[in-house]
Order: sequence, then structure tokens, then C-alpha cells
Amino acid sequence: MTVLAGNARGQQHIARWLLTGFIALVYAFLLLPLVIVVLASFNSGEFLTFPPEGFSLRWYKSFFNAEAFVNSLFYSLRLALFCTIVSTFLGTSIALYVVRHAGRWREHLRLFILLPLLLPEILTAIALLFFYYNFDALMREIGWTSLVGLLRNSMLGLLIGHVLITLPFVFLGISSSLYNFDLSLEEAARSLGASRWRAFRRVTLPIIKPGIIAGALLCFIISFDLFAISLLLKGIGIATLPIQLFDYVRWDFDPTAAAVSSVSIAITIICVIITDRLVGLRSLRF
Amino acid sequence: MTIAVDEQSRRRTPRHLLLLLPTTILFVVFLVFPYFNMVVMSFRNPSTRGVFAPGFTFGNYLESLLDPDFYYLAVLVETILFGVGTAFACLLLAFPVAYHLARTTWRHKALLYTFVLSPLLVGVVIRCYGWMIILGNNNGLVNNLLRDLELIERPIRFLYNYFGVSVGLVHVFLPFMILPILGAIQSIDPRLEEAAQSLGASRLKVMWRVVFPLSLPGVQAGAILVFVLTISSYVIPILLGGLNVMIMPTLVVQQLLDAMLWPFGAALAFILSIAGALSVYLYLRFTARFMRGIS
Repeated sequence: MTVLAGNARGQQHIARWLLTGFIALVYAFLLLPLVIVVLASFNSGEFLTFPPEGFSLRWYKSFFNAEAFVNSLFYSLRLALFCTIVSTFLGTSIALYVVRHAGRWREHLRLFILLPLLLPEILTAIALLFFYYNFDALMREIGWTSLVGLLRNSMLGLLIGHVLITLPFVFLGISSSLYNFDLSLEEAARSLGASRWRAFRRVTLPIIKPGIIAGALLCFIISFDLFAISLLLKGIGIATLPIQLFDYVRWDFDPTAAAVSSVSIAITIICVIITDRLVGLRSLRF
Repeated sequence: MTIAVDEQSRRRTPRHLLLLLPTTILFVVFLVFPYFNMVVMSFRNPSTRGVFAPGFTFGNYLESLLDPDFYYLAVLVETILFGVGTAFACLLLAFPVAYHLARTTWRHKALLYTFVLSPLLVGVVIRCYGWMIILGNNNGLVNNLLRDLELIERPIRFLYNYFGVSVGLVHVFLPFMILPILGAIQSIDPRLEEAAQSLGASRLKVMWRVVFPLSLPGVQAGAILVFVLTISSYVIPILLGGLNVMIMPTLVVQQLLDAMLWPFGAALAFILSIAGALSVYLYLRFTARFMRGIS
């Protein structure tokens, strides 16, 4: 009997180790491509081999010498910055409305704001592509030729697409911190003579700040990495970094792309660290 | 005093609208209207000179559904099956990880959580590029390693086929399966498991009969997310499958950007959306029986 029990315990022990091993493998699977990209960018050879051929910064040099990549890096950063500003502003105001004033339409409005998340990104991109084309055609027809190309060949059209996709994330972050907000705090400030705006700025805003910061940084990361929208809506001659990278790795395998990717990963990590320092990673909501 | 408050609340209404209006206008003009416009586009007459010709037709839908080789239908079925397969593979990998993450008392739990999120925070092109380095057909890491160990003579073709695309899709969408299951398991009372165990159930039995059934809402949410994301993914099939893997989004974008057949492309996109929605509906109907009494 004791032998049997010992056996069973042994089996359970083995099962436990197998499970732990399996979980470790899944984590390795999740991280592997990112680690490999960073390794490849510092490798001196054309191809990554084990053991690596040696340390070199030549691919970073080749990245910073490639004007197309550098231009699109700055274009992407600018676009992500604008997108973050617009989305955070709109996301905060609509979250305030939904949580405090929407009344019985609250759930419908929530669903409406979350639509870009629920609809496939590629479909939204196609819809915007058609719409921008029809907008140009309409402007030509009514003779407002100065407006032709306003949406299709400029950052504005792309920015609108990015704002549509990122706004739900900002909205989710901010509205969940608003739900936990005790409205009587603001009322107390009002009853002590603060104006509506002052009460909001001095009481409400500091309390919901973590939600806003987390939402804004997530927005920046998402906009910086957004692909499908950018692919279909890019103006002539301007490509965001993911698009430039996509065009490159389709035909070339050399590790310049790895250097570009590593810089992009570094920017993301910086954003994540800022979020962690300011408000803690737990406030990152998906 | 009461009068003043009343007056204030009456004056308040337009100010509240300032919070609501900008976003609503943006969404109506740049989301609702464009989608409506796309529906209209899918009924337009095709044209060889412009993007579309005047007049309306059902032709685009009929052409894609009734084409004599059933080419588009075959691609559609393949896409749906691919979505189901990816969701299933994600479930197998995600469940143990989610359970472990929900129950672990390890100090660096936050780190594990970040690992789970990491694929979401890095662009899809970069993740695919990572897999291209690892699985490359000629000089990929795995092939080089196997060749150095003299296990193979000719490189194995990992990329530009369904295998490569599946690896990429599972990797990218795994977090979307882990997170909902994690949420569901966290809301299960651990005492239920202890009770089952104290009544003599083995760990495996506890998993299968207690934890898994109670986590079904999370499984369901994750499965739908992964399925929908897979059947609408474009980048991963293009980069890891090349032209050998033809699924609906690739086909749609090809029709739109290369062939400039906008009405036809729009019709294909809607057929995919309707088929996807129908699959999700059938899946919900099918799983409703198992979910009764849980959520």
C-alpha cells in the first residue's frame, strides 16, 4: 500500500514537472522572436548562427545611413505623438460623458465607442480608403479643388485612422478609473466654492491621472506599431516605420531590419517603463 | 437656492454635449459613414476605366459565390477552418499558462504578466521578422542549427507554407487567449478545487471537471477573439506565407490594391464578415448548452 502511494506521489511529481516545463516552453515561445531580433541586430554576420559570429554595430550604422528608414522613424514618432494628444483629449471627454451623463444610453454609447476594436482593422482601413477617394471625387465635382487630397495625401487622413483605432483603448483606461471615482469629492470642492472647472482640475483630474497616463502611453505604442490602416492609407511617398520595415523584409533579409526593429522595441520598452514608474503596470488595460 | 440649482442644471445640458460631440462627430463621419459607403460600393458596377461605373448590381456577390471553379468559396472555407485551428491551438497552449499565472504566488508575477503582454506591445511586422530569422528556409536559425548538428542534409521548408503562418498567428494571438482565461480562473474560488481534492479527485480530474468548466466563459471569449483576429489578419499570412498561403484578407487586399477592383473587393470583404459573424453565432449556439448555469 505504501509503495503504491509512493508511486502515485512520484507520478504526480513528474506530472508537475512536465507541466512546469510546458509553461516555461510557452513563455519561451512568446519571447523568442523578440530576443532573436535583438540578438541578430548586434550580430556581425549576415545570418544569425549559434554561436553568434561576433558583436558589431554595423547594422545600426546601416540603419542610420538609410534615409528612408530614418525619415519614416521620425514620421511615425510624430504621427504617434499627434495621435496620442488627440485620442487622449477625445477619450477623456467621452469617458467623462459616458460615465457621468449618458444615463440610460450608457451601454449603447460604450459599445459605439468600442466599435473600432470590434470591427476588423483591415475592414476599417478599406472603408476609410473608399471614403477618402469619394471625398476627393466629391470635392472635384463641387469645385473645391483646394480640398482635393486633404485626406488622401496627407498625414491628416492617416491620423484620423490612427485616432479611430486607438481611442477605444484610451476610453477603456480612463472610464474604468472614473467608475471608481467618488463623485462626492468633486461635489465637496464645489460646495466649498470652487468653480466647476477648478473642481475638475484640482480634484478629479489628479485622481483619474493614472488612467489617463496609462491610456496615453498605450495609445502611443499602438499607433507607433499600427499596420493595416497605415498600409492602405499612406499618402504618396510617406511611409510609417512598420510599412517601411514591411517593404524591406519582404525582399531583403539583411539585419538592417533587425536594427530598425530593435530601436522600435526599445521605444516600446521605454514607454512601458515610464508607465510602470508613473502608475504601475497594472493600469495597462486591454 | 433650489431654484438656482435647477437653473444651473438646465444650463448644464449644452455644456455636457461638448464632451460628447467631438468624438461622436468623428465616429459618425469617419466610421459609420465609411462603412455605409463600403456597403454601397459592394453593389456598384465594376469598371475598367475608373474605380466603378454608374448603376448598381448584385453581380459582385453572385460572381464571388457562384464562380464556376468555386475558387473564392474554397478560399473562404479555408480561411474559416484556419481560424478554428488557430483558436484551438491557442487554447491548448494558453490554458496551462493562464491557470499557472492565476494561482502562482511567485514574487515576480508581474514579470510573467509582462511576458504574456509582450507580443501585444511589439509591432506585428517585427514579430514576423523574428520568426523569419528563426525559421528561414535557407539560412534560418533552426535550419543552420540542424545542419551543424548533421541531423539534416537539406534545409527543411518552415516558411512560405501553412506551418509558418500558423506559428506566426498562434504567437501573435496567444495573449488574446491567455488574458480572458486568466480573468475567468481568477474569479473561481480556490476552495472549490480544495473541496474536490479532499473528496478524492485527482488533480487532473479537478482540472477537467471543476476548473475547466468554470473557466468556459473566458475560453469562449478568447476563442472568439482569436478566431475573428485570425480570419481578418493580413500581415502574418503575407510575410510568413508569401503567395503560397491564400486566405481571404490577402485576396481582398489584392483585389483592391493590385487589381483595383473596388466593388468586387468590397463584396468579398462583406462575404468574409458575414461568414465570420455566422461562425461565431453558430459557435455560441453550440456552446450555450455547456455554459448553462455558469455565467
